[in-house]
Amino acid sequence: MSILIDQNTRVLVQGITGKEGQRATQAMLDYGTKVVAGVRPGKGGEKVLDVPVFNSVAEAARMFPDINTSAIYVPPFAAKDAIKEAIDNNIKFINTIAERVPIRDTAYCLAMAKEKDIRLIGPSSLGYISPGFGRIGVVGGPLVEEIFKPGSVGAISRSGGMTNELAWQIRQAGLGQSTVVHVGGDLLMGTTYADLLKMFEQDEQTKVVIIFGEHGGSYEFEIVDLIKNRQYTKPLAIYIGGKFASVLPQGMNIGHAGAIVERGKGAKEKEKALSEVGVLIADTYEELAELAKPYA
Amino acid sequence: MNLYEFEGKEILNKYGLIIPRGLVVRRGSDFAQAYIDLGVKDAVVKAQVLSGKRGKNNAIKFCSSAQETALACEELFSIQVRNQYVAAVRIEEKLEIAEEHYLSITYDTNKKQPVLVYSQQGGMDIEDVSDNQIEKYWADVRQEKIESTIPGAQELWRCFLDSDCRLAEINPLVKTKDGRWVAVDAKIALDEDAVFRHEDWKNLEARTMMGRKPTDREIAVKKIDEGANYYRGTAGKYIEMDGDIAVLFSGGGASIANMDALLNVGLKPANYTEYSGNPPREKVYQLAKIVLSKPGLRGLWIAGGVANFTDISETFQGIIDALDEIKPEYPIVVRRAGPKEEDGMRLMRACANRNNLKMKLFGKETPMSNTAKIMAEMLNT
Repeated sequence: MSILIDQNTRVLVQGITGKEGQRATQAMLDYGTKVVAGVRPGKGGEKVLDVPVFNSVAEAARMFPDINTSAIYVPPFAAKDAIKEAIDNNIKFINTIAERVPIRDTAYCLAMAKEKDIRLIGPSSLGYISPGFGRIGVVGGPLVEEIFKPGSVGAISRSGGMTNELAWQIRQAGLGQSTVVHVGGDLLMGTTYADLLKMFEQDEQTKVVIIFGEHGGSYEFEIVDLIKNRQYTKPLAIYIGGKFASVLPQGMNIGHAGAIVERGKGAKEKEKALSEVGVLIADTYEELAELAKPYA
Repeated sequence: MNLYEFEGKEILNKYGLIIPRGLVVRRGSDFAQAYIDLGVKDAVVKAQVLSGKRGKNNAIKFCSSAQETALACEELFSIQVRNQYVAAVRIEEKLEIAEEHYLSITYDTNKKQPVLVYSQQGGMDIEDVSDNQIEKYWADVRQEKIESTIPGAQELWRCFLDSDCRLAEINPLVKTKDGRWVAVDAKIALDEDAVFRHEDWKNLEARTMMGRKPTDREIAVKKIDEGANYYRGTAGKYIEMDGDIAVLFSGGGASIANMDALLNVGLKPANYTEYSGNPPREKVYQLAKIVLSKPGLRGLWIAGGVANFTDISETFQGIIDALDEIKPEYPIVVRRAGPKEEDGMRLMRACANRNNLKMKLFGKETPMSNTAKIMAEMLNT
């Protein structure tokens, strides 16, 4: 199996007529993902890559009631309304690629989603991929077949570019991936490391997980509690970037929006806390795949 | 974006919080006249910096005459406060303080909603207050009002939401002897991603937390991502640093990993720069040109992971446009892969050949961190 995607995944693309939306639709179709409909207000009745376009999520959902995943390709100022529309129509998985969504808008959507048990991945998430099943978004890009193949390593990354890079390191080590998720680099993460580790724990295909983390924020510390409570028991290797940032002033922001220099939340402190509960620590991200290899 | 105290206070005041009467002076202002204009006997003179414990670092002075105020201002403008540049000085009335409290709202990343933090022990760092003296109230951004009778809480809640703050902190929140609640300090961080609904943010002065005025290059780079297509790829990140290796990194995560890798091989970055999200050629060109304009460079490291959708050919052409103009003589190491990588690498190689550049090119077969070592080796031979 895998997590987040399976053979029942049916995808709606919101913002399908835009450049990014079209490219993502193409990427998903090329990889065998079932994209069944798109939305763009005012362009209902048109088609993009043979996928029918509707004026609203409600119209699309009426025609295709089996839609369970929406990929959001709209500009940041339209993201809140788009996500809200998906939530109102009870779409279970919402992947938001839009970057630079205001924190308040993200918090608004997360509060709504929580009430309906809807999972938001992102914002600023390029998507996720389960080799052999499909992908949401553009993870892997055109080189997807060179980089991804089914296997037993799960991977999570704060960074989009590093998501692909990590998967490539796994492949180069002679291994394959179960599911690879770009969680996005925002201050508020719709789906956190801890959320995904719980799913990987239940997933038979996944034998070991690797993570690309960053300085700033508390999400890596949630992993410590998860392991202590035995909600995650499989091997885990992590790389945490941003050691250089410890010399920068508090409150400074380097890299992603969530990567803020904060006392007690640097790369070193995170590594220490995780190492104490048995997580394998990589000095460079390239070591992650090697650390995972004996368990894969 | 972190605000100076005086900017934060203006915002708090707009939402109905009382702030001390005061005014702001800059280098070259008539400080004595400012004191006279304020028209109070006892004044507090406060250095305006982006962070820092000002009280413990001699950045706050108490003055009772025009002459004292002038001297205090001169002194504050001549120092740095915990490596922070003093951009301005605020002179304000000294209050008759009865009590000092603490009040802030920020996002709790665990609950993914705002949290209001209150303590009757204000005036010191909240980290130094014991947990049993801190009250926390979780709220939901969809609430119009916050359920709290803490003085100033409603006003701060509206301020936090309507001004798209990441942090809004009043410490101390003072109760005066005559019973008024006054925000004596203000620490506000704005969420820059909400800029599209805050036209007025564009008027805020340029700033950096690097302990100096922002450089011309930093100001110029910031402009690259402004305008209607601000969200179409990012190329507006540049922080000038002390080293001599220019860097052009792709992606937030790769940039962090590469900064670590560069320091690990004993090299020092001349800048921190990251472009990502498939920015157009023109944006990358402007960025590369500014990065390469720093004097005293000894090397250039262009590095990124295996891109998902960033067009390597398009973004490389932006860099090539800059290299064609500047023709650097120092070593250049490139590591990149992703869509249209063959095209991008071919164009980059041709650029190296026609300009006789000392350039080494690597694709995804070579790990990113290894190319930092290669840069170090090229510099040592």
